[in-house]
Amino acid sequence: MKISKEKFGQALDALIAEYQIIAPVSDANGIAFKGVKSFSEVKQDYLNSKLPPKAFFFPQHEKLMSYKKEGKDVTVKSELKVENTVLFGIRPCDAKGMQLLDMVFKNDQYTDPYYYERREKAVIIGVACQKIAPTCFCSSFGISPAGSEGSDLFLIDLGDSYDVEVITEKGKALAARFEALSELTADEQALVEKVKRAETTSKVDVSTTTSKLDKMFNSPYWDSLQEKCIGCNVCSFSCPTCHCFDISEEVRKNEGTRVRTWDGCMAPLFTLHGSGHNPRDHKKARWRQRMMHKFNYFVHNNGSMSCVGCGRCIKSCPVNMDIRQVIDGANKAELVVE
Amino acid sequence: MNKIISDIRETARQLLADGKVDVVIGYEKGSLPLKATPCFVHSAQEVDSLIWDETCENNLAAFVAKTPGKKAIVAKGCDSRALVVLLQENQLVRDDLYIIGVSCHGVIDQRKIGAEVGEILEASITDGKISVKGMEGDKEYLFAEVKDATCQTCRYPNPVIEDLHLGELIQVSQDVAAFADVAAMENKSESERQEYFKEQMSKCIRCYACRNACPLCYCQECFVDCNSPRWLTGGVDRAENLLFQAGRVLHLAGRCVDCGACSRACLQGVDIRALNRKMTKDVYEMYNHESGISEEGKPALNVYSANDPEEQFLVKE
Amino acid sequence: MGEIQVETENKKYDPKIAAFLCNWCSYAGADLAGVGRIQYPPTIRTIRVPCSGRINPLYILKAMANGADGVLVSGCHPGDCHYISGNYVARRKFALIKSLLTYVGLEEDRVNFSWVSAAEGGRFAEVVKGVSERVGALGPNKGVFKVDDGGATDE
Repeated sequence: MKISKEKFGQALDALIAEYQIIAPVSDANGIAFKGVKSFSEVKQDYLNSKLPPKAFFFPQHEKLMSYKKEGKDVTVKSELKVENTVLFGIRPCDAKGMQLLDMVFKNDQYTDPYYYERREKAVIIGVACQKIAPTCFCSSFGISPAGSEGSDLFLIDLGDSYDVEVITEKGKALAARFEALSELTADEQALVEKVKRAETTSKVDVSTTTSKLDKMFNSPYWDSLQEKCIGCNVCSFSCPTCHCFDISEEVRKNEGTRVRTWDGCMAPLFTLHGSGHNPRDHKKARWRQRMMHKFNYFVHNNGSMSCVGCGRCIKSCPVNMDIRQVIDGANKAELVVE
Repeated sequence: MNKIISDIRETARQLLADGKVDVVIGYEKGSLPLKATPCFVHSAQEVDSLIWDETCENNLAAFVAKTPGKKAIVAKGCDSRALVVLLQENQLVRDDLYIIGVSCHGVIDQRKIGAEVGEILEASITDGKISVKGMEGDKEYLFAEVKDATCQTCRYPNPVIEDLHLGELIQVSQDVAAFADVAAMENKSESERQEYFKEQMSKCIRCYACRNACPLCYCQECFVDCNSPRWLTGGVDRAENLLFQAGRVLHLAGRCVDCGACSRACLQGVDIRALNRKMTKDVYEMYNHESGISEEGKPALNVYSANDPEEQFLVKE
Repeated sequence: MGEIQVETENKKYDPKIAAFLCNWCSYAGADLAGVGRIQYPPTIRTIRVPCSGRINPLYILKAMANGADGVLVSGCHPGDCHYISGNYVARRKFALIKSLLTYVGLEEDRVNFSWVSAAEGGRFAEVVKGVSERVGALGPNKGVFKVDDGGATDE
């Protein structure tokens, strides 16, 4: 089914009263997902945002609760604020990334209300990639540049209209608000087929990575790997699946708040104990952790790699550490007999 | 292959083969077009990965203290100035360091190219011309058009300290330092400046790439990581970010060698250099001091004179 | 304590000023003002430091972040430092702090530096009066640095 962009824009604009609409916009700093007031602000032709959209469910800095002590009375207030949200223009890699985050924040042991309530109230409208950047390598992980996994509604740009595919119940409810859906023409059908067949040109072979990493904890590979890393957190912060955080108390006098802030495994402080001992006291251990977490532990725990091949870390790294080369290096590293 | 590259490789080969150093820190070709990446060569067999061109944008001095053993470093002007400051501050042992000096014409501002041609697919540099094939179109640039902002005001393209110089020296007028960019900002109104830095700081995501890329940010514990006292809350907003950036810049005052590594490292394009340059200008004008240009002497804030100006900051009473 | 309020255009604003005073001169100067019963506005919250050379720029930034309306830093006159050169070294630092803060758009009068000796009780009162008036005229901390840390404001 298809809908003209004009009609789609009107339908989206009509949702403003009930939903906050998050969409890609172009600012001085590149493409960013931001709240928009009208569909006309939305950037149509874009590769992907500089920073991943995970912050809408898992903000970089978030107040969890506030508390106040007066005499013997302590009042505690939840700071959770949830709005109905439509995220428009999410790329397949990021939509998949959200599914991976779901596994972390909602599983049989624990459900994180802050993440999950926002997630529950959000509808994700994915849009297929028709241009693929040289740093994109999502096809390595079985994600297609036109993959609908993780989206509620999935769109393919047909020029002045969108091909609309309903993926979930949430998406169905939203699509019910669209008028004037019509059938695709044969040409458009052909275009849709073509977009769906596309793959990224850059690919890494990850078929053996997990089992290889099982045996690599003590590999000398990590020694050579870490040398040029400067240990900043830009790879973690620009990653759609990185989810480590730090919880701290901001207290002054008799009141305070508990806040959650993104943290990253590349910083020594991340694992520093109160005693002064640091179990990951060297970049070598930190890089090993990064690789193991994404390509080994996460697979064992959740059955999927924690990388979606968006290529953001490759583009953002100040010293051009390329995760594709790091995976490749791990695949090829010689094993030492212990 | 140009002569400097073959000389760098040959020098590295000799140093490693003779056992004079354990590692040579240089550049190799990166995985992306127009990107070089730091490279650590441990054996004479590996030296052929070393390169030198206008894409070698990282300041390698940042790696020296953290790399154990005797090391050689490929140093351009700003890298060598950072080494000088590190030596002045006793962070390096001169005898463990072999400096392979190369003169630098400046590095390429990739951001500028990316903004015009989109993602860079392919690029080549020949005779000062850069041809770029981008997702949004192809373009050819003269090197001068895409030279990094830092390099445009560079007065020290030749290393100020070195054990060996490769290639020819670059002539540069050594008159006075120019701070037109800072002066332009100073001339704006208070509210304009406030707005500008508010906007810049709201972009910062506090990944600390600027700090970590900086050769002179070597504190064992950075004030941002300090738990007691806790200078910064966990918050990431423009006021906190300004506290971080201003704190860092003040810590670098009189030490910063204006290599621009912080600005180039910043994913978000925060104008960190505007702050550092302001301090550099003040130190230059008030104390007639430029950091890292001679091994003798100390950073400007480690010394004083009885006649230092004070009228501009004291209260009127 | 009696509240002395500073007249601003049409409303009175009582600023809160963090005052970092060196132990040997300015703190003693403040003490002398007290002993001499010299009146000055109760706007400052004194923090005694061993020497103006002890001032870390972060003290000033953090005071502004925590909601102080202004900062006053005061030490011995150059040449009179108890530790010979502490204030000479501090002087360079202060010049740069003031310059940078003004550059990023903090109102010029919020952060103040002075030299007050142990004998200048009257002058100390004058400095506090002047600083209070100027900071009061600017009104509350407008938050170039002010941080929402979810806590109460310290008195």
